[in-house]
Amino acid sequence: MTTFSEKRNIKLALVVDDSLMQCKVLSVLLKEEGYRVFTANDGARGVAMYIKYKPDLVLMDINMPIMNGYEAARKIKGLSQDNSLCPLIFITSMDTDQAFIESIDAGGDGILVRPFSPNVFKAKIKSIQRISDLYGQVKTLQQAQQKDAELAEQLMSGVIEARNFSRDRIGIIRQAAELFSGDIQLTALAPNGDVNVMLGDFTGHGLRSSIGAIPLAETFRAMTKKGFSLFEIITQINHQLYDLLPADLFLAAGFVSISTHNTSMYGFNAGLPDGYLFSELGDIKYQLSSSHPPLGVLPSLLPDSQLTVISIADTDRMILISDGIVEARNEEGEMFEFPRFEEAAKQGVIEGDVSRRVQEIVNSFCKGMPQEDDISLIDIPCGGWEQVLVGSHDYERFPDKLLSDISIETPPAWHWQLSLSGKRLGLLNPIPMAMSQINEIEGHADHWQSLYTILTELFINSLDHGVLGLSSELKASAEGFAEYFKEREHRLRNLNEGFVELQLSHHPVPNGGRVIIKIKDSGQGFDITNYYKNRSAEASPKLKFSGRGIDLVEQLCDSLDYQENGTVVEASYVWTT
Amino acid sequence: MSVKKQVSDNQKSVEISIDGRFDFSLHQYFRDAYVNCTENGQTFTLNLATTSYMDSSALGMILLLKDHAESHAGKIIITKPSDSVNKILEIAQFHRLLTIEQ
Repeated sequence: MTTFSEKRNIKLALVVDDSLMQCKVLSVLLKEEGYRVFTANDGARGVAMYIKYKPDLVLMDINMPIMNGYEAARKIKGLSQDNSLCPLIFITSMDTDQAFIESIDAGGDGILVRPFSPNVFKAKIKSIQRISDLYGQVKTLQQAQQKDAELAEQLMSGVIEARNFSRDRIGIIRQAAELFSGDIQLTALAPNGDVNVMLGDFTGHGLRSSIGAIPLAETFRAMTKKGFSLFEIITQINHQLYDLLPADLFLAAGFVSISTHNTSMYGFNAGLPDGYLFSELGDIKYQLSSSHPPLGVLPSLLPDSQLTVISIADTDRMILISDGIVEARNEEGEMFEFPRFEEAAKQGVIEGDVSRRVQEIVNSFCKGMPQEDDISLIDIPCGGWEQVLVGSHDYERFPDKLLSDISIETPPAWHWQLSLSGKRLGLLNPIPMAMSQINEIEGHADHWQSLYTILTELFINSLDHGVLGLSSELKASAEGFAEYFKEREHRLRNLNEGFVELQLSHHPVPNGGRVIIKIKDSGQGFDITNYYKNRSAEASPKLKFSGRGIDLVEQLCDSLDYQENGTVVEASYVWTT
Repeated sequence: MSVKKQVSDNQKSVEISIDGRFDFSLHQYFRDAYVNCTENGQTFTLNLATTSYMDSSALGMILLLKDHAESHAGKIIITKPSDSVNKILEIAQFHRLLTIEQ
């Protein structure tokens, strides 16, 4: 026999009563209300019928042989944990408080005391059916929402986080309060080898809080890849979120960019708890405090906003957290707080696994208390990136045969130039523009990454030392290093004159080509012969804070020449496929 | 109820106080407290003296109140936050967006 559960056009009722007379009376009334009726004459048989027919309504007598009404009700309610609420009404002639209380305790949804008129009975059935329908609607909605959340979760972990850079070296805790986390962790590699990292915490949690996640991830990754500076990326994300999100939705976020060949870190904290820079011994070297309201609140960043520059050692670790960790509560309602976090992180740093250690300690502190907010953390090693990057950079020298094939006597296939001067020079970064020209003309390819590095290093040198007149001697010590960037920021802001001229030309051959880069600046120039003499005298270039950029450029180019007293630099970059 | 509202006799100032936890569960009550105050030039004072905890959705609700006040040529002042609540306001750098009086 087929079950009737699929055909829900006609509602099914089950009447359980040891009196055949009562069964008959109730059946007639129910049929008048449009129900199809089954009957059983004891509790045990009632439970069996319930399992077989999955009715929409159960009417239950209390005193019956074999199994009484309370026990049968408990069994039935124990079975119906699925989607539909099957209302169960006790029908009795026991008009006592005790009977009423026990009926509800046994899982009954109502009680009807005999004698009652047919109209009162029908009214009761209607009211209980109304509640049951409402319950069904809520269940359906909840399931739809759960499905959406699962899809979003899949999208989030599959599309957004699977594309994160270096997931094996950067430790991440992501423990969501609900299925879907309002926290987002992103990591991406810039063309010059800098590692950009972001930890964001959208207002609230759950699906609502994460509508900004996908555009955020796209912007962060695309701009990092194109070589925009961290500050430009933050400016754009703020602007985008302000446009996109309603007023009460915003993103508290911490940003870090690790620049290995500058041995420095750039940081920005907009609304997150302090980020921590730990030494390998677990000492706190620096705390990156919030200096800006969360992103998406203001149409543009506050005018005095700037990145913090911090000098780092290879063995340091930078840790960003969201407030879910410090506000996690235990049974007594006590919060985890910063001192416990700092101690846990210190242990983790010493043991070499921050995310695991911190997660263990927080969870054992909370002892299974329901988690109120998303808990997340990112642990970034400050050094060791060169080894990771060598694989992605093409450092191989080219065969001499090919070099001689590419003559610059032949006219270039194209020539591109841009001259920036005065205020514009302080505001615009011409490198992404140059790269997008190359990508448009020649198509996207990995070897353009090396070209990006060359362009960036040479442009920064012309701007910093040429136009701004900054001396790299300042960068000789860790303290001077920070000082250098402060001074640079100041001079850039007040820049009114000076220029940098950028020229690119491409001489292609089959399977390769040569790009000539020429950069001219309005600066004083420098003593070229003296410069080369000093450089060759340097014993260990690894130990110094400046000049690494040029070392890198020399490795990547097949020739590098300074001309016109050092105000012009010409580099040649050869590529093959 | 943990959201209380008091309007001065001349209708110029509205004080809203939050008792206990200020989080998403108060969303509707909080909105109800100010949404009908549409007279121009009102000062909304958000009294947090007895607020024990505030989460990020509360920050969002404050921003909505700020929008409401500013769209009616009014302003918003936060008063007497406890140390722990003030810490949250400080991390979000809210003193740069509106007036906070201790």
